[in-house]
Amino acid sequence: MKPSLPATQKQESPWHGNTPQLRNNTNTSDTNQPNQINMKWPNVKLIFARELRDQLRDRRTLFTVAIMPMVLYPLMGMAMLQVAQFMREYPTEILVVGADNLPDEPALIVDGKISSEFATPSDNRLMNLTIAENVDTEFSSIIEHLRKQADGSVDLETIDPTIQQEMKTRGVDLAVFIPSAIQPPDETQPDDVIAAVGVHIFQNSANDKSRIGSDRFNKALQGWNSGMIKQSLSDNSIPLSLVRGVSVSNADVADKIGKQAAAWSKILPFIVMIWSLTGAFYPAIDLCAGEKERGTFETLLSSPAARSEIAIGKLLTVMTFSIATSILNLLSMGFTGMFVVARLGSGTGMGGIPIGAPPLASVGWLLLALIPISALFSAVALAAAAFARSSKEGQYYLVPMMMISMPLMMIPMLPAAQLDFGTSLIPVSGLMLLLRGLMEGQYAECAKFVSPVCAVTLICCWASVRWVIHQFNSETVMFRASERFGIGAWCRHVMRERDEMPSFGNAILCGVIILVAKFFIGFVATTPENFLEFAKTTVIILTATIAVPAVMMALVLTRSPQKSLRLRLCSPPMACAAVLAAIFLNPMMTWFSALVMQVYPPGGDLVQLESTVANILGTAPSIWAVLLVFAVAPAILEELAFRGFILSGMESLRNKWQAIFLTSLLFGIAHGIIQQTIITFGVGMLLGVIAIQTRSIWPCVLFHLTHNSLAVLLSKADAAAVGGSPLLQTVLYSTDGQHFQYSIFPGVLMTVVGVLMMVWFLKLDPTETATSSQSKLMKLVSRWTSPMRPTA
Amino acid sequence: MIHVRRLTKKYKDLQTGQFTALDGISFDAMPGQIYGLLGPNGAGKTTALRILSTVLRPTEGTAIVNGFDVNEAPELVRRQIGFVSTNTAIYDRMSAWELVYYFGQLYGMEPEHLETRMESLFDRFQMNEIRNVLCSKMSTGMKQKVSIVRAIIHNPPVLIFDEATSGLDILVAREVLKTVEQLRDNGKCVVFSSHIMSEVNRLCDRVAIMNRGNILAEGTVEELVEKYEEKDLEELFYQIISVSEMNHEAQFASDAKAGIPLAR
Repeated sequence: MKPSLPATQKQESPWHGNTPQLRNNTNTSDTNQPNQINMKWPNVKLIFARELRDQLRDRRTLFTVAIMPMVLYPLMGMAMLQVAQFMREYPTEILVVGADNLPDEPALIVDGKISSEFATPSDNRLMNLTIAENVDTEFSSIIEHLRKQADGSVDLETIDPTIQQEMKTRGVDLAVFIPSAIQPPDETQPDDVIAAVGVHIFQNSANDKSRIGSDRFNKALQGWNSGMIKQSLSDNSIPLSLVRGVSVSNADVADKIGKQAAAWSKILPFIVMIWSLTGAFYPAIDLCAGEKERGTFETLLSSPAARSEIAIGKLLTVMTFSIATSILNLLSMGFTGMFVVARLGSGTGMGGIPIGAPPLASVGWLLLALIPISALFSAVALAAAAFARSSKEGQYYLVPMMMISMPLMMIPMLPAAQLDFGTSLIPVSGLMLLLRGLMEGQYAECAKFVSPVCAVTLICCWASVRWVIHQFNSETVMFRASERFGIGAWCRHVMRERDEMPSFGNAILCGVIILVAKFFIGFVATTPENFLEFAKTTVIILTATIAVPAVMMALVLTRSPQKSLRLRLCSPPMACAAVLAAIFLNPMMTWFSALVMQVYPPGGDLVQLESTVANILGTAPSIWAVLLVFAVAPAILEELAFRGFILSGMESLRNKWQAIFLTSLLFGIAHGIIQQTIITFGVGMLLGVIAIQTRSIWPCVLFHLTHNSLAVLLSKADAAAVGGSPLLQTVLYSTDGQHFQYSIFPGVLMTVVGVLMMVWFLKLDPTETATSSQSKLMKLVSRWTSPMRPTA
Repeated sequence: MIHVRRLTKKYKDLQTGQFTALDGISFDAMPGQIYGLLGPNGAGKTTALRILSTVLRPTEGTAIVNGFDVNEAPELVRRQIGFVSTNTAIYDRMSAWELVYYFGQLYGMEPEHLETRMESLFDRFQMNEIRNVLCSKMSTGMKQKVSIVRAIIHNPPVLIFDEATSGLDILVAREVLKTVEQLRDNGKCVVFSSHIMSEVNRLCDRVAIMNRGNILAEGTVEELVEKYEEKDLEELFYQIISVSEMNHEAQFASDAKAGIPLAR
């Protein structure tokens, strides 16, 4: 290789000129190689500046980013103001049957209206009462049904459907029925009279007018009821102070700014996220699919700019537009909202909270959070857009992206969603919750979770940026040809092109099949009633949803199912080491489980499930049967799938830690419940290391089996069993004589030994272990087959 | 200047399993020479030129461009070449001046020198009237001029023209060909792909006739005509491609009979 630039030409002509004076930024590294980032920032800056200018000259992008927010919201505001002129609340039509059964004092209904004592004039205006007599022919059918319903001849729980039909026909939103005379309470009334329902209200909750009318009427009834009690006390000369109870005073200590911040904190993060994604997507399509369509991508790729520089330059452009779209939408929406509220003459909204401009601190936090949010969405949008061959195809990718992002954005809007360690680890949602907390001024609470949220967000941003660079480096993505897809051709292709070992895609597909199968089998599986049924169900589910997909895929998609499932034998020392490692690491895993349970306290459903399983286990014929179901079956069936097929496929990433991490993640998710997901993820990491280093699933099966067995035995340990063994007495302790835990000192000691054993596994040379195990297997096979060979 | 050795490019294909776009081709192109790649559509010309410009990576084999290996130093290879593709491939929302300036900067040229060279090239190509016109408002001929100026702005020793006259009217096409000739006369190594016989006949010092990823014949036009005893390049091309297609059909039938799956 001759490391020289073109020779300097002496002639001064347009063809030659002087050899361009190049800046000293040549680099011999191969920046086209995937997964290698070697950036020259002047090139990134150049590409960013060009793309930015290009997009600013594009009318469609400008319309989406700037014109639409600036015009759309004011137009919507104007339309709202126009519509508001025609909006008014309509009164509820209330049919009252048996009004003559109401007492005269206190009077609930006066001159066909609710007494002004119990309803405000505005409420009264919105309740049109029709007083029907029992003999009223117009409403006779409703009255008949109400009577049947009220006197118990028809079950109260099953409302006669004809009532609703009749109410609709007669234009009645709410029916009130007073079946018998109501007397003010007194001590001489028998219990059945006191317990009897005095007023029946029939509302249609599917009808808003009926529901709101019911609330208003109930409010009036409560006031009337209190009035009746007061009168009764007064008639019986009982002082009111005897039944007054405790007076409660409510005071709101939040200042106006705090209230505004709380109100905005629930809306603004969501709006920012939505517009950040939308604002990223359209420029991303134009910068990738659009360039492919126009043929300019090839020109750019043949320039000295490395693909990573092109990717980052484009990413920064998309990010800029994403941020700009969010900010412009926020500004336009905020100003329009304030203007509309001011014009409507209502200074309050959202539960009486004054609407005004969001506090400055809230805006600051929002802008700060906008940077990582936009970076994440821009990278994902750009990577997805790189797949597309045309702008039209690129737009098809928007809907799936929205579908995936929406739940993450919606979770923090739920009232029950709170920032804790668990939610802080959820991408996007954690950031939104942190942002909400910061906007509400809960700095101390937020400070605890800043680190996990930032870590998760940065990891997501980093991973998505790497994905973009990978996409730009991938020929199959950048020069994807339009192929006619057919199932038959694809199947033939899969069979013809199968490799010795599964690919990364095969591994992911297997993981997805397992997850989907487990999801659907949950619908058809019945709750077992005894241990035998439970054992059958568990083994069938494990086999059908986990082992069968993996084994089938290994047989169909690979040339060497045995290698794909890592079925090669391991040496006896390795098998022993796996069992011992599981034993010594058990205290650590037990403490880890306890920590997870503390961080994510089990919900009611999980507690009930555990209690059901415990009851079923009580019917088990022996401890061996329990171990067979809880330890042996999962150890073999899960290891075949996860450390067998899936980990083999993940190894095509050529990074063992990435392979172990992703396999453990799938292993954890397959367990369904968040607490189990985290715990099994940890176990999966240990199993992954053993599988990779020993190239065999058998040590993993033994580790898994031992781990599960110890968990079962520890949960079933009792004082008699522990007391009978000096070793167990040293290792375990119990505060209540029923639940045993590892003692600190022996537990730590065991953990240290266990960790050292894992280090030993890590130091093994996988190629050597494979060869030695294989040669042992060959020796074993030859020993078995040698007597059959004819003697010379 | 350009040394191509056993260059192979294979793509995965859903229908046939694997598609071989280039099947181990080798050739050499020297400075002051126009090397023509002649072949029907799908012969592998564009793939070969994309590998030379490092847009694609070869499956096997290598190419050395002005001393730099496309596998080992793609970035340095890109500095040695100017690439003009089938379509004009210029940014519609940039003016001619902005576009050329942008690529000059990407090639690391100092601003003063870049501007001097741009003035000189804009004069030479009579592009001063359109220097501030957006490319979207230009005719196809003008766009191709901008594309050529963009490709030679950094004065590369190697120029690659991939069917650069495709879709151009005769006047513009002649101008492009004239430019290519002048570049050759100024010592550049030019690789020129086309399926138009007259262009190749007129321009190229050496020709490689390609079909189905292979070079079937290589040499000067005169050598080839003499060797194959044909009256001109067009007849020669027709005969060579016809024989190649017949052989391919025969091989295909034989494979099908033997139960060997369809593959190219």
